[in-house]
Amino acid sequence: MSLFHGLLPEYIIVGFILISLLGNMLSRKYHVASWLSLIGMLSAFVASSHLWSFVLKPHMFLGGGAVIDNYSLFVNLLVLLAGLGTILLGWDERRWGTEFPVLVMLAVLGMMILGLAGNVITLFLGIEMLSLPLYILAASTHTASGGEAGLKYLLLGAFSSGILLFGLALLYGAMGSLAFVNFAKTVATPTSPLLWAGVVLSLVGILFKLGIVPFHMWVPDVYEGSPTAVTQFMAFGTKVGAAAILLRFMDFGFYATPGWWGPALGYLAVLTMIVGNLLALPQKDLKRLLAYSGIGHAGFLLIGVATHNLQGARALLFYLLPYGLAVLGAFAVLSLVAGDRDQVSVSDLTGLAKKRPLMAAFFIVVMLSFAGIPLTGGFVGKFYLLQAALFANQPGLAIGLVLGTVLGLGAYLRPIQALLNNQDSDSTAPKPKWTLGGAVVVVVAVVGTIGLGVYPTPIVHMVNQSANFFWLH
Amino acid sequence: MTAFIILAILAIVGALGVVVARQPVHSALFLVANILSLAILYLLLSAEFLAVAQVIVYAGAIMVLFLFVVTLLTAGKEEGEPKEQLEGQRWIAGVLAVGVGIALAVLAIHHPGRAIASGLPHNFGNLHGMGLLLWGPDFLYVGAIALMLVTAAIGVLVLNRPVRRQAPRPQRRNEA
Repeated sequence: MSLFHGLLPEYIIVGFILISLLGNMLSRKYHVASWLSLIGMLSAFVASSHLWSFVLKPHMFLGGGAVIDNYSLFVNLLVLLAGLGTILLGWDERRWGTEFPVLVMLAVLGMMILGLAGNVITLFLGIEMLSLPLYILAASTHTASGGEAGLKYLLLGAFSSGILLFGLALLYGAMGSLAFVNFAKTVATPTSPLLWAGVVLSLVGILFKLGIVPFHMWVPDVYEGSPTAVTQFMAFGTKVGAAAILLRFMDFGFYATPGWWGPALGYLAVLTMIVGNLLALPQKDLKRLLAYSGIGHAGFLLIGVATHNLQGARALLFYLLPYGLAVLGAFAVLSLVAGDRDQVSVSDLTGLAKKRPLMAAFFIVVMLSFAGIPLTGGFVGKFYLLQAALFANQPGLAIGLVLGTVLGLGAYLRPIQALLNNQDSDSTAPKPKWTLGGAVVVVVAVVGTIGLGVYPTPIVHMVNQSANFFWLH
Repeated sequence: MTAFIILAILAIVGALGVVVARQPVHSALFLVANILSLAILYLLLSAEFLAVAQVIVYAGAIMVLFLFVVTLLTAGKEEGEPKEQLEGQRWIAGVLAVGVGIALAVLAIHHPGRAIASGLPHNFGNLHGMGLLLWGPDFLYVGAIALMLVTAAIGVLVLNRPVRRQAPRPQRRNEA
């Protein structure tokens, strides 16, 4: 396989970014860029899945800088799903201007780069390329809260990028190499504290993007202030990209010495699961509730890295899909209920079950998937994570997962209770309208969630094959 | 070694000045001092191209832009500091930052890494070597950075869009 073949999905996205910009310039029609980006992302999706089916062993390019394997292609698929959902949810949002699809595609490209990063340059480029469009998208509505969200995200993100860059420089200083492959060879020999400092600082930068607890302060404010479709993109896409690079960075670069970093990540995972889900309980604003639940889910994802075994990697990769589908469904319903507004509180859902029974039923399904109720994808994902924690002989992680799940269930039941509540339903409030884009996203999300819960075998098979980047060792 | 120590002190004083100075213009000038001492440090490390680029791009273009903005926006205005929400957080942050910096410096001196031993490649740091790298094996990275610049340009468009232009849009749709 040549470099061009391996990077075909990325090249398609780059091409469609440029074509969309040209389309915006040449045509005054509003939806040109949206259509072009839909076509572009769908073709990149097809290209990724086609490549996935015949990549058997990892291909390294650019001296280890880009690794094309089933893992990177699976990450591509997840990220493109998030991008497609964002475009569909933001289809009729005319306030954002025609640049919205272009920015979404740029961020998708950054996440795809994170999936295939094999050295620290690609890692940093991916993180920056993912973040820059998101800073702009967060502030793109020209509202006060949007501006606050964008500025907060920009300042804290730039700060964490600085820390990450410092850590990566120290890593290079300690190892004399940029590629993760060479890290693994070097680390096996006795090492210097300089290396530890580098690992710690780089981890801080990546965990910030993932929203792990000591570095989670930005998440609720940014999610609350951003437009709903963009929040969905942050909750799904950014988590996929950050989790993918974290897994590759630690499990690939520092495979030989899990004793250093495994326990630290384990404690952070437990802390994140409990704090995130606990803080989700009292939230009144639905976006803040989902933001805290996203923090809790980042903790669940961190289990997969902290166990540092193959089961953990597989469980993490699998969990990203049900989590992402539930995020898609939840935010789609949110944006349908919100209509033109950017804020939705729990009380806005009151009486939805009577007004729009189907919409309410879909919302209940994705909420139950978040909570991990059987017959939804979330349950299967949590089951695999639990299994990975127990295989790794780390019962603490398993206990944290169960505690976090129980706390989370309490948080997710409150919106469900509100939407089944008919007593103080405000009958004068307008019925939420279905839009085509929103309906497509919700149906795909719900069908996927239930499908994963009832018959997860094909995806499990795919994930098991995708987590094969350990082969190089 | 002496040159390095003098330059390091200059760079740190400049960086501190940026944070501590009350007038924005003074901050900008301290930044110039910091940038120039860094440029000479690069020269000492035989990274000639980087040193020149640092002077031209940062000390030249970007500083001029800074000074323009500062003089346009804050000329004659004396703004008070906003009140601290958390008493004494600056001191704690300062002490922590200095502590981390000293710890890292001690680490770097006591445990030099492998990068020092790897030696300089041929043509290191001059225009020829940089060009060979950037247009050779590292071209894809340059492409990615070009896309980031595109992002920045689009960002300027999106964030500076006049609010007036947005309102009529739904109307036009109704007429159609």
